[in-house]
Amino acid sequence: MAETGQFVEADNAEAIITRIEHKSRKIETLLKQSKPVEALKTALEGSPPKTPDERCKSANWIVVHRAIMAIKDVDGMFSSLDPEYYDILMKYLYRGLSTGDRPTCDQCLRIHEKLTERAGLGCILRSLADTVNTV
Amino acid sequence: MAAVAVHQFAQCITCHAWSPDHSMVAFCPNNNEVHIYKMIQDKWEKLHVLQKHDQIVSGIDWSARSNRIVTVSHDRNSYVWNQEGPDWLPTLVILRLNRAALCVQWSPKENKFAVGSGAKTVCICYYEQENNWWVSKLIRKRHDSSVTGVAWHPNNVLLATTSTDGKCRIFSTFIKGVDTKESKASTSSDSKFGEQIVQLDLSFSWAFGVKWSPSGNTLAYVGHNSMIYFVDDVGPSPLAQNVVFRDLPLRDVLFVTERMVIGVGFDCNPMVFAADKTGIWTFIRFLGERKESASGSKSGSQFSEAFGKLYSQSKHGMSNDAIEPSRARGGIHENCITCIMPLKQPGLSRITRFSTSGLDGKVVIWDLENQEDLSDYS
Repeated sequence: MAETGQFVEADNAEAIITRIEHKSRKIETLLKQSKPVEALKTALEGSPPKTPDERCKSANWIVVHRAIMAIKDVDGMFSSLDPEYYDILMKYLYRGLSTGDRPTCDQCLRIHEKLTERAGLGCILRSLADTVNTV
Repeated sequence: MAAVAVHQFAQCITCHAWSPDHSMVAFCPNNNEVHIYKMIQDKWEKLHVLQKHDQIVSGIDWSARSNRIVTVSHDRNSYVWNQEGPDWLPTLVILRLNRAALCVQWSPKENKFAVGSGAKTVCICYYEQENNWWVSKLIRKRHDSSVTGVAWHPNNVLLATTSTDGKCRIFSTFIKGVDTKESKASTSSDSKFGEQIVQLDLSFSWAFGVKWSPSGNTLAYVGHNSMIYFVDDVGPSPLAQNVVFRDLPLRDVLFVTERMVIGVGFDCNPMVFAADKTGIWTFIRFLGERKESASGSKSGSQFSEAFGKLYSQSKHGMSNDAIEPSRARGGIHENCITCIMPLKQPGLSRITRFSTSGLDGKVVIWDLENQEDLSDYS
């Protein structure tokens, strides 16, 4: 799963930021090709960054946020999103809800409802109970 | 029907244990007492009230062969109760803890018991004949948080613990003069008392409820993140499987066979997990009946009730059904199940009956006979 594994010491913050920037460009390309689900998958790959560095986490959140906001058809998204992404997506939904930004919260709540239907309350518990791999 | 008997004993039960012949049950009704009930002419009658603790009793274990009860409490003490004539006489065991004791279990040979505590410590207690006294030896400085569960390996030496730091650890509890050399040899290592054999680092949140399989080859424990962990080849290179499930987290587990585990917890309904022929563990199903209740929120847990409210403003009426299509509440237990105990029939190698108790004050006896779909795993 995406969030398991230990912090890799060799990955310094700069290297992670570079990788996130690369990911960001890839996502923009995918969005231009109207592949929002592929973009979301790309955004969630390697998330959260395996570092306690808040800068990296914020940079990654911006990328994931971009992909989440681009989702128009939530049901359609779930038909092609594999269950292995559910737990990490839930974490980012809660980060979105914590921003208090109206359009972000609207979108996150919309996805949250469908995601809970599919992944159950256990998915929420996993995102709330994990205090180590925060997004 | 899987639940064969339901007894409402109290408002809330913290833990329970059965007498060797299963005719009596001891439980703590969420206070400083332990009540012992006996089934007399189809009615449960209160026989004894064990009053010695000052605070909530958090653990009870009743030894199968020596007929002794051990209790531990938030008052940091433990008592071993011996039946003499009609009375139960307590012996104080000084645990030397500065925080609450949380759980207790007799070792398989019943010459030791282990106590987990909020003091990040595990006590191994054993009887010293010459002093006529229970002695407590401490495993210190190993846990980073409260010890929520202890489980003895069938070899009477290895002890598994779970802790709120998310780890599951396995220790040697070899005590000179109590354990024999043979039992030490079977652990295949020269481990001294308190030596950590392995630390399992699978969970990122609180870990609860650890148990060994009947043979001691497999270990199962649960995390507060709705996951259950199965570990084979416990030793230097353990093989671990994490099983994710879609419902509320578990609090305790029980192996009924080598390949089947019952998990109980916040979902109020026992869950069955089993390993297929290739050894892959999966969630099979809920054990309790699923009654179709018209109002899911009414009989649901507080959590799902609150959850229903979150969405009910926009989608009134369908919210709960939409969220939990597979499970309508209103099962046997109405609140979190905190304790599961085997009811082992003499002569039978596998466990077909067990009992659960929880915050709703009920003790429920479950039977796995006549559950055809589960017989493949036994």
